[in-house]
Amino acid sequence: MNKKNLIEELKLTFADIRVNEDKNDTIKIHAKKEQVKTILLYLKNYGYDHLALVSCVDWINKKEFELIYILTSYNDNNETYKETGDIYLKTKISRDKSEVETVIGVFENAEPYEREIHELFGINFRGHPRLIPLFLEREYDVPPFRKDFDTRKYVEDFFNSIPVIPEEKA
Amino acid sequence: MREVELFFGPQHLGMVGNFSITLNVEGDKILKATADPGFLHRGFEKLMEYRTWMQNFPLVCRINVVEPDHMEMVYAMAVEKLAGIELPERAEWIRSIYLELARVGSHLFGLWAYSNMLGFDTVAQWAMYHRDLILDLFEELTGGRVYHIYIWPGGVRRDFPEGFTDRMVETLHSIGKCVPDYNNTFFNNPLFYERTRGIGKVSREEAEKWGGVGQVLRATGKPFDIRKVEPYAAYDKVDFDIPTREEGDVYSRIMVIRDEMIESVHLIFKLIEGLPKGEVYNKVPNPFKWKIGEGESYVRVESSRGELGLYLVSDGGDKPYRVHFRTPSYSHGLTILEKALEGANISDVGNIMISMYVVAPEIDR
Repeated sequence: MNKKNLIEELKLTFADIRVNEDKNDTIKIHAKKEQVKTILLYLKNYGYDHLALVSCVDWINKKEFELIYILTSYNDNNETYKETGDIYLKTKISRDKSEVETVIGVFENAEPYEREIHELFGINFRGHPRLIPLFLEREYDVPPFRKDFDTRKYVEDFFNSIPVIPEEKA
Repeated sequence: MREVELFFGPQHLGMVGNFSITLNVEGDKILKATADPGFLHRGFEKLMEYRTWMQNFPLVCRINVVEPDHMEMVYAMAVEKLAGIELPERAEWIRSIYLELARVGSHLFGLWAYSNMLGFDTVAQWAMYHRDLILDLFEELTGGRVYHIYIWPGGVRRDFPEGFTDRMVETLHSIGKCVPDYNNTFFNNPLFYERTRGIGKVSREEAEKWGGVGQVLRATGKPFDIRKVEPYAAYDKVDFDIPTREEGDVYSRIMVIRDEMIESVHLIFKLIEGLPKGEVYNKVPNPFKWKIGEGESYVRVESSRGELGLYLVSDGGDKPYRVHFRTPSYSHGLTILEKALEGANISDVGNIMISMYVVAPEIDR
């Protein structure tokens, strides 16, 4: 019952969102990137107070990135959460203009996740306080977790040749 | 006083693992801490996109050296959920026993790291020795000491050999007999108490705000455990407690780890008692031709560090399309550690870090 109410309320509150359930009964909310922050805030107030993961998938054939926010609850007595389980919030961004607003204001632990996605997929998070490299040692022309980055080709090109050392000027 | 920038790690006696923290200090007080991971980034998630569903098993267990078994479990669970594979009941129970054994081994490893850092070398040697006894059990069961690749989609690789559970009970009893020794030399030692009480405090609100799980949350009095919240394997069929403490400091976190180890051993005894008979493996399709239909799944287990999750996407092919691990050390090491170190003393950096169980390979992946 709670689950139905939640889905109805979501649909009433936010225009243009699509809510569906998959074969495992997981609720998936598809929203526009401008809505993400408000929906997260709404769900947080609803009791989904634990942002487990922020992830990104590169759907290269559709020319878009998909950002996924997985929400669960710290409070396992929460009746709605008991019924619904985890909620996936998804949004799509174009590969050409990959920019989205940060959600640190709602969930502080999103900070390293966004930093990682910025580094590995090249997505810009507006308003993020420090989008500096997290893991990688050197710069890449194509961010390495994008699908058009070929790991094997990169390794052959980069490590099988002797890199040219630029001459230092005296 | 003058503010100085100090690099702590990646090679430092007071910390384990390839992880670095940049500290802004004034005297010996920390003003600001910046975590700097990346010394161990191997790109596992990208590598896994190039390998078939089954080929990935030798990779996943190598992500985290300290607890390969929970990594296997979470990956197997995600594949099972995507492909809709059912498990025989005995396999579920065996998985639980195996994972609890792994938890004890991992906690003993953690205890080694922690007591070593604090200068209790004798306790560190004990813990390492006792972990080795558990590794002997794993070797007998799987053929490997550290990386086992025992859990597969559809069940486990082989059944327990004849008399294995008896030998397991015997080993656990011989470790359990040493608990008073551990208590006398370490846990009840005033030196340990003085060194940890009131240090590295994280309140429950802060822990929840910054994505804390595992001991960090349980040390603040919140019994948050995936084994209870979202039971997997055979955890809903046996009864067990979740040890908690109230204070949220280093002392409570270490005591929670100790209590958890003892609880895990009790849980293993209960599981062995109820172990049903039957098959341990449901056949899965030929791994060379195995294609899994389009879909995505997020599964989570309670590793010895806290909530370990895996987001797995399939595009209908024979390889994963996207793999993303949600590791407990990620929030602990990159968010909570930075905040908890503010205002702390330089000599407590390793103390706070290891008590939060921050493991570098888990962060970098």
